[in-house]
Order: sequence, then C-alpha cells, then structure tokens
Amino acid sequence: MKVVGARIPRYDGVAHVTGRTTYVDDVRIPGTLWVKALRSPHHHARIQKMDTRPAEDMAGVHAVITHADVPLLEYGHLSALGIPADEPLLALDEVRYKGQPIAVVAAKDEETAAEAVSRIDIEFEELPALTDVRQAFDTDAPQIHREGNWYTHFEDEMDHRQIRKGDIDWAFEHADTIVQGVYRPAAIEHAPLETQTCQVVPEPSGRLTIYSCTQALYFSMGVVAAHLQVPLSKLKFVGGTTGGGFGGKVDTATETMCALLAQKSGRPVKWRWTREEEFLCSSTRAPWHMEIADAVTADGWILGRKMLTLHDAGAYSRFSPYGLTKHSFHHTGAYTIPNLEFDGYVVYTNRVPTTAMRGFGVTSVSFAAEMHMSRIADVLGVDPIEIRLKNANRIGDTSPNGIVYTDPSTVSTIQTIAEAIGNELKAEYRTMTNAPRSEEWLPEHLVAQLGNPEEH
Amino acid sequence: MAKHTGRGIAAIEYPTGMNQNGDPSQAWIKVKPDGRIDVFAGTADIGNGSKTIQTQIVAETIGVPYDWVTYDNSNTDSSPLCTGTFASRATFVAGNAALKAAQQVKQKLLEIAGKELEINPADLEIVDGEVVAKGAPQTKMSVGDVAGAATFVHGELITGTGAQLKPYSAIIDSETGRVDTPPHSAISYATCAAEVEVDDETGEVRVLRLQQCYDVGRAINPTQVEGQIEGGAMMGLGLGVLENCYPYYPDVEHRGGAFGSYLAPSMEDMPQIDTILIENPSADGPYGAKGIGEMANNPQPPAIAAAVHDAVGVWITELPITPERVLRALETKESGGAEPRREGKKVVFDEELSVNAVSAGGMRFEVPG
Repeated sequence: MKVVGARIPRYDGVAHVTGRTTYVDDVRIPGTLWVKALRSPHHHARIQKMDTRPAEDMAGVHAVITHADVPLLEYGHLSALGIPADEPLLALDEVRYKGQPIAVVAAKDEETAAEAVSRIDIEFEELPALTDVRQAFDTDAPQIHREGNWYTHFEDEMDHRQIRKGDIDWAFEHADTIVQGVYRPAAIEHAPLETQTCQVVPEPSGRLTIYSCTQALYFSMGVVAAHLQVPLSKLKFVGGTTGGGFGGKVDTATETMCALLAQKSGRPVKWRWTREEEFLCSSTRAPWHMEIADAVTADGWILGRKMLTLHDAGAYSRFSPYGLTKHSFHHTGAYTIPNLEFDGYVVYTNRVPTTAMRGFGVTSVSFAAEMHMSRIADVLGVDPIEIRLKNANRIGDTSPNGIVYTDPSTVSTIQTIAEAIGNELKAEYRTMTNAPRSEEWLPEHLVAQLGNPEEH
Repeated sequence: MAKHTGRGIAAIEYPTGMNQNGDPSQAWIKVKPDGRIDVFAGTADIGNGSKTIQTQIVAETIGVPYDWVTYDNSNTDSSPLCTGTFASRATFVAGNAALKAAQQVKQKLLEIAGKELEINPADLEIVDGEVVAKGAPQTKMSVGDVAGAATFVHGELITGTGAQLKPYSAIIDSETGRVDTPPHSAISYATCAAEVEVDDETGEVRVLRLQQCYDVGRAINPTQVEGQIEGGAMMGLGLGVLENCYPYYPDVEHRGGAFGSYLAPSMEDMPQIDTILIENPSADGPYGAKGIGEMANNPQPPAIAAAVHDAVGVWITELPITPERVLRALETKESGGAEPRREGKKVVFDEELSVNAVSAGGMRFEVPG
C-alpha cells in the first residue's frame, strides 16, 4: 500500500484555509433577485386569511409564491421509502411551528424583499400548542398534527416501533436487581458557519441550474423535481462543497422555493438565511426521552432490558421514523442483552421539525445506555470496565433484530482504553477476546440463552 | 467548596451506511491521453474529507501516484448518483463505488498494455504509474504511454464505472423488529474515557482529557480519521456540557438566535485528546474501512456524565450538564434526596422525569418485578 494508509494532505485543504473555496454564497450571477420568507410568528395557529397583493404590488418585487404555486405541495423526505408525506412546502391553512414558511418573495434586493414580506396581509387564530412529548398521549392533550400526536405508519401500520427478543418476563423474574432510569439529551443546533444558501438560475434552455449547499446532491434534486413535477433532466445541481452540514443540510430547505421563484420571475434568485433564521428556523437535533429498566444479576450480567423511547420529532415527521428505527436497532449499545422489550414512538410537538444530525438516532441511545451501564455498576458495586467487558458483544452474538455480529471490537477498544488510563484488568478480562462466548464464561441461567448462538 | 476530579468511561458501536441499506452510490472514471485520471462522483464533501479518501482509493487501486488523480463532484450533469454524505457512508459506500470504477480502469489499462508489450495482461501489474511485467521489471511501459496508445493507436477511451448498493433490508416481522439481512454496511466500535473537574461552588464542569479508541476498520488516511475523531469529540463535549436550543425545555421560549447566545464549544473548552486507532478490517469495505464520521460525537456525553458522578456523586441525566443542574443535584444530595427509591429488587432513579410522573395517564412505563 502506498496511497491508502498515507497521511496525505486534504484534497481541498489549501483552498479552504486560504479562503479560495467557492461556496454557494460566493457565486455571483448578474441580475439576481433576493428572497425573504414570511414565517409563522406562532407555535400553532390557523391561517384565517392571507392576501399577498400588497407585496406583489410593490416596486422591485418580481414574484411572490404561496402554497397555491407549488405543483406538488407535500413531498416527504422519506417518500421514496414509502413513508407518507405530511409537511407542505409552504403552509396551507395551518402553521405548526414558529418560523414555518408561509410565503416567499423575490425582489431586487434584500431590503425590498423584507419590506414586501411585512406587507403581506395575514391573520391567524392561535391554537393550543404541545411541547412536552410526555403529555402527547394525555386525553386532554391538544391534537396538533392532522394524523394525531404521533406517527402511525410503521410496518403493518403500527403506531410505534417495537423490538421483542427472548423472554422479558423470564429476565425480570430471574434478576437479582432491576435498575431503572430516565435519560433526556437536549435539542442542539447544527450551527454550520455557512447558513442555508441557494442560488437558482433559469437557463435559456428552460433548465434550472441550482447552486446548493446540500449534503446530498441527488437526494435534493429528487425533492425539487418531485415538488416541481419535472424530470431530472430539467435540473442541474451545482455543489459538492458544504460549509458545515452535520446532517442539517440533508434537509432541502431553500432549493425548491428558489426554483419556483426563478420559474415565476424568469430571473436568477438567491436566498441566504440570516444567522437568526439558521438558529431559529432550521431544523435541530431532536430532544429524546428514554426510560430504561434493566434486569441484572448481582455480579453484573444484564439479563433483560425494557425500554420506552419518545422521539420528539417537532412539527412534522421528516426523517424521524428512520431515526427511531435506527435507534431501536441499536438500543442495547455495544452489548448483548438476550431478552428485550423496546417500544418507541415518534411524537409530534409544536417546535421546528427535528432532522438528521451526526449520530442520528443513536447518539441519544449511546448516552442513555452507557450512563445506565455506569449506574448499574455503581448500584451493584462492580467495576465499570469489567461489567462492560462481561456484557460486550462477541462474534456469534445477535443484535436486537436478530443479526449475528461478525467483527465486533467492543472488547478490544475497552481493553485498549483500560490500558491507556492505567487500569489493571484482572487476568480473565485482560485475555478476553471477541471470539464466540464459551459456556464457562456464562452464569448458569444464561447458558441456555447465550451459550449456543445458533439457538438465539 | 472545592474542585473535584473524576473519570468516566463509555463504550459504543455504530453502523456504517444507511440503516436498512438501499442507499446507492456510483462513480465513473475516464483516463486522459497522458494517463492522468478523472473521477466523477456525486458525493458532497461536507468537511468529512471524502474527496481525499476517494482520490486515495482510486490512486491505490489503479496503481498511480495520488497527484495524478482529479476528483470532480461539482454537479449532477457530469457526476452520477450518490445518495448523500450522511449515515457515515461516504468512505464505505461511495468509496466502494470509486474502487470498482478504478478496478475497471486498471483492467483496461492492462489490456492495452498487453497488446503494446505483447504480454498476457494477467502477467502485468501497475506500480507507481508504470505497467510492469511481473517478475521481469525491466519490461515496462508508463501508464501515460498506455493511455496515449489507447487514444491514438487503438482508438479507445479508457473508462470505468462503479456502483455500490446493498439491497434494502426489510423488517420481516413488525412484532419483533427482525430483519432479513444485516441492516448496515458494517459496524464500528469505540471506547472513551473522560476526565473532568467539577467545581462544587459554581457547578461548572471542565472536561480535562478524553482518551479514545476507535476501530476504524482501516485508516485510509490516518490524519483525516483522527481529525474526524477529535472534531467529533468536541461536538460530543458540546452535547455533554454546553449546548441546548431550548434552555427551558420543554418550554420553547428564550431560544438563542445568535452565536453569542448559544454555547457551542470553542477552543477554550478543548481538553487534551488522545486518539488510538484499531484496525479490525470490515469484510467488504474499501481496503477494510468502516465509517466512523458520526459516532465520533457519541461516547463523550455518557463518559462525561459518569465522570461527573465519580467526581461529586450526582447523576445528571438531562443534557447538557450545566452548572445549574450540577448545583441543584448537589443541593438535593446534601438534603438526602439523591438516593434512588428501593423497593424489593427495584432501584428506581429519576422518577420525577418519567412519563409516569408527567403524563396524566395516557402513557405508562410499566416495569415487571
């Protein structure tokens, strides 16, 4: 190997550090119009009346679009996977989060566009909002989404994601101790240096060139083509260089609206979100609510896990059903737990929709499962490193959804860190490998369940 | 009033590629008349370094120097589909597409060289930009001359295409969540030890050191993968002790609309970070690589939370671990209220946060035993 494994300088590193990389905001097209959005000032409201004519009549305004201008108003981020769409590109008759776009204006400059937005005549009737996922199921909770307060389209139209493995009652019956805890990581921002930015140029050929900061050129092109109801040949996405994404720029936040404004005005248009818009109106990492109860033996074997997850999706589903499913597949972390009962819900709230972010679906459960593991060790008075090695997944163990692990490195990464921090492991833990479990390593009541990988 | 230090540990795993797969990436390559290589792929580089990684994979696979390869991901007219740069998939999934395209190019170069040198292509290899007869290194021809011969003598364009797709892994039983095939391209593993200092007067948590070990399968570029791991560690530190969109969650008011009112980690917060790489190759990743881009911010929050407990004896299970939360927990502990409820064999923490305490009865978390 000469090139693979070498510490080669970054391909685009010099351009980045000398300020010569061309980001979308660096593209200059003569005659460009600037875009601003009318956004919901309320967490939840019905739109009673809207008149965009005062904006359209302003000098310097070239196009205003609302829901009525979108050929396909709702196209879900996961429509391609058969998950139904629930979010209009521009609000129809209801807004479900503060900052939701209702209309967008293209004008000769940003000031004119902002002034035009302020002249749109709109009236709302405020509706009760829901922000605590734990109250979504209450009988007196306001219904905030047309389909109810949680997503209902998992396989076989189940209203939650479910994992079942082994015999959970057996595990809790045979446990010496049951440890319960609740884990709640916060919503955080992607906080990219480059805010959502898009430039669209209508070409003489009738095509649209879309300069985009998307993390996924073809995915975003598919979203725009679906909303516009045009074949992919009508669009050309230009990009491939993103000024910070972390998952937030998988959302196609600006491209479709800019494409529609370019079509309507016949002029190039550009939309560059302000820092405030990026913070307040772009999607966030989801806050999660997780409850874990583990059935454990006095010497630290985890026999079973019962878990409830409420995934705070915000106002619309976006990627949340995907994120929750991924979460469920990994809810035992780096360990093998033979008996499982997991129930997870994608719950709607009146906040900006949450979306993918680095570690999507799993960052939450890594926190919950690992903190719970530390607590179990503390409650039982066993070593926090040894309890992890003991329960670590090994070759031949199976995942929560029945897949055999082939190359787990839990044991070796833990041993490496134990050595790095100067923790002297007992001989049996020092010599442990990721090789399949042998019966002498298992407590009697787990032999039947873990001793023979073929049987579980 | 004093500063207390503590240490915590966390071990994690994370999948490479989209959950349940079905996420294709494609690449194509053409060769210029002087043997220089043009790669076209639709993989956005979001700072993850995929341009470099795919370029390295192509150079290695064909057998030419790195700087012979140009990589173009600039537009959808010339570049084929990539599902996108997310799900820790760029190195593995898009990298495999580039690898397959490069293998085709290499094969065609060997075929043309075979004609020129009148040697069976199977007896030729490419080393440092030269096609060489195996066992007879004096018999050779530069890749540039091969490409020139292809263009001007044989009338051929040397190209290669590659596509990587693991078919969708369906859930075959909605009751149990069982799937029919592995729902990922690979799984990576990591362990993190965090050392913190907690000030019991101000409640402030300072992360002093993060020692981390990652199984990366194969480090295509050690500098870049270390960069991912260290950058991710800072993001995990932010999650653990600093960042929050909604300071009064679940209330949504008082959001910060500027960097000045949102606590993202800065250089000042950066602890000592020690990174140890393990290479346990994946069976079908490019050169054994696994994707670790996302998991890099996963182990720090629980390791930090455990370290805070080790330092001052309180469990903070709502993130971020702010000074206010630490002080409130210390206050509760001092008044004797921090102990979990023990009932039979049950040890119950955080009851006040449970749906059982907050919901008016619509949802319950019932635990047997």
